[in-house]
Amino acid sequence: MKKRILIANRSEIAIRIIRSVHKLGMIAVVFKSDREPDALYLNDADEVIPAKDNHNDKAIFLDPENIVKLAVENKIDLIHPGYGFLSENPDFAQLCEDNGINFIGPSPQLIRDMGLKTVAKSMAIKCGLPLVPGSDGAIADAQAAKAYADKIGYPVILKASAGGGGRGMRIVEKPETIERNFKSASDEAMAAFGNGDMFIEKYLQNPKHLEFQIMGDKHGNVIHLGERECSLQRKHQKIMEEAPSASVTPAMRKEMGEMAVRFAKTIGYYSAGTIEFIMDEDGSYFFMEMNTRIQVEHPVTEMITGVDLVDWQIRVALGEVLTLKQEDIVIRGWAIEVRVNAEDTQNRFCPQTGFIDLIQFPTNENVRIETGVRSGSVITPYFDSMVSKIIVTGSDRKTCIANTLAALDNFILDGLKTTVPFCKAVLQHPAFIDATYTTRWVDQVFNTDMLENEDEELIGALAATIMYAQEYLQLSSDLPTYKNDRLNVWVLNKRLNY
Amino acid sequence: MGTSYIYNRDASRLFIAVRDNEKRFKLFIPKESLPAVNGVELDIDFVEQEDFHYIFEWKGKRFHCELVSRDQNKAVVKVNGVEYKFSIESIFSYIRRGLINNSSAITDNNISAPMPGKIIDIFYAEGDIVNVGEPILTLEAMKMQNEISANCNGVIRKLKVQTGQSVMKDELLVEIQSIDV
Repeated sequence: MKKRILIANRSEIAIRIIRSVHKLGMIAVVFKSDREPDALYLNDADEVIPAKDNHNDKAIFLDPENIVKLAVENKIDLIHPGYGFLSENPDFAQLCEDNGINFIGPSPQLIRDMGLKTVAKSMAIKCGLPLVPGSDGAIADAQAAKAYADKIGYPVILKASAGGGGRGMRIVEKPETIERNFKSASDEAMAAFGNGDMFIEKYLQNPKHLEFQIMGDKHGNVIHLGERECSLQRKHQKIMEEAPSASVTPAMRKEMGEMAVRFAKTIGYYSAGTIEFIMDEDGSYFFMEMNTRIQVEHPVTEMITGVDLVDWQIRVALGEVLTLKQEDIVIRGWAIEVRVNAEDTQNRFCPQTGFIDLIQFPTNENVRIETGVRSGSVITPYFDSMVSKIIVTGSDRKTCIANTLAALDNFILDGLKTTVPFCKAVLQHPAFIDATYTTRWVDQVFNTDMLENEDEELIGALAATIMYAQEYLQLSSDLPTYKNDRLNVWVLNKRLNY
Repeated sequence: MGTSYIYNRDASRLFIAVRDNEKRFKLFIPKESLPAVNGVELDIDFVEQEDFHYIFEWKGKRFHCELVSRDQNKAVVKVNGVEYKFSIESIFSYIRRGLINNSSAITDNNISAPMPGKIIDIFYAEGDIVNVGEPILTLEAMKMQNEISANCNGVIRKLKVQTGQSVMKDELLVEIQSIDV
């Protein structure tokens, strides 16, 4: 009998997973949330379960009990959580297991361990991974934090053990403010995560964010699939990623990759996972954390290795042996992913909601599109602002950048503003071109003038004027002083020729 | 056809688009032929128009324009995903605004006869738009015909001479209200 896979997610990742489910000859089931009943991913699924979450205070994707209840009712064999939502929630994974549903991902215990940064770090120490100088575990109070910071030197960063998404995080530049910051960050973490434990570490001024993709099975086999560089971030969230990284030499790749594999093997990891590193300006790197889900930016790794990560997630969950060997993994070419978020990059990346009047993607053969929307889709305030991803490849980094720019020139979205003009500006910036950009680029270098361009400005003046002129000329044609033939502007002349 | 509009200027088709950063564009939207921006005719192709959307092609690239908002003469246009704000002035509203603001951008430029002679031909009428360097009239002196050109972009405010009239050296010929930015 065909396996039934429920995708407890939405938008582009649901569509991406459905593709793999179909490739493996299984049945793809999704939820229809009342918050977006016309979503694009519903079309691709074999079966749709109405979630009836209209009156619930949370959408179905955040409701473990309801998901599992509906999954059992619909005879689901496996659940793929995608990314975000409950993908790294150990209780949800446990609940699936308790109800006889195969959760696609690592074991609940591993998710729990890796979710606690202090646990992950102590594991990393055991495996000999370099760590940013800092406290090994939670620090007791503000005084202890101050004593520790005095020892390792400022600036330091305070982080919540259970934190994420920038909450419960403080950068402290000088000793006078550390106690105050400790208290507010701890309170914030308590409110957000129900856990006020804090740890402290040295703050790297201009770091790069690197991460290694790994894949393991339930039989102890683990490989790595090279790194991604995700240094381009705004509000601590990635916005453009590339693979491989120009800052990683083949020797470093081998060394860091082996560390990642060693770490995964030591903790008994299986399924897809990501080991994050932070790299200082001098090229030294440190273990940050492990993500136990498929990542938004997984396509760049797929493009340069030819490995289908979602396929393998499902096969591993079913107990298959990972037949890929480390020596099979060869990195070919370059890939860049541009996240198309409905955000106003001219106004502090403020999220946009509304209708997508028109969306048109580039169709070049070196372009891969992952989209959760189409023309006419609605962007609601209930979910993430990411609507699509444009992944572009090239034989080398320079070609890939040129291909990406060309692809973005052929991207059209009417009705909302997106991050595409921002990504175009990044692709043309010297710091990106020479690969020296860091996670601070947006804060330190970016300004909205970079989004503008003289040709576009001139065309904008022309378009605004024509729109105005059409009305103006219509009005003035009624007056005897003007001898206009009504709306006979250049535009309309041109139009007649088509 | 490209230049056919030049001697047939129609002031109601000239506009000034002022950006929020004070950058100014002088746009001539002719009845026929291509639009001119800051006095230069541009080879901009008009690909498509739909409601508040225009697609232009220029320099081998496409420009996707969308009217985001419009309030009186203020328009926000999104070009390839980036917003630009303009206020659009007709030539008259622009000059009026300049006078009210007592802006130095609006000044009168007088053209006087460089030598004594006779006016042979006048190409413009009062109220016409001229671009800098364009001939306004022909002055015959010492059996030579000299074209007297506009010394600025603007509107011909006053034509002080008529065809066939003889003028003295330094006699005022034309007053142009400049719109140079």
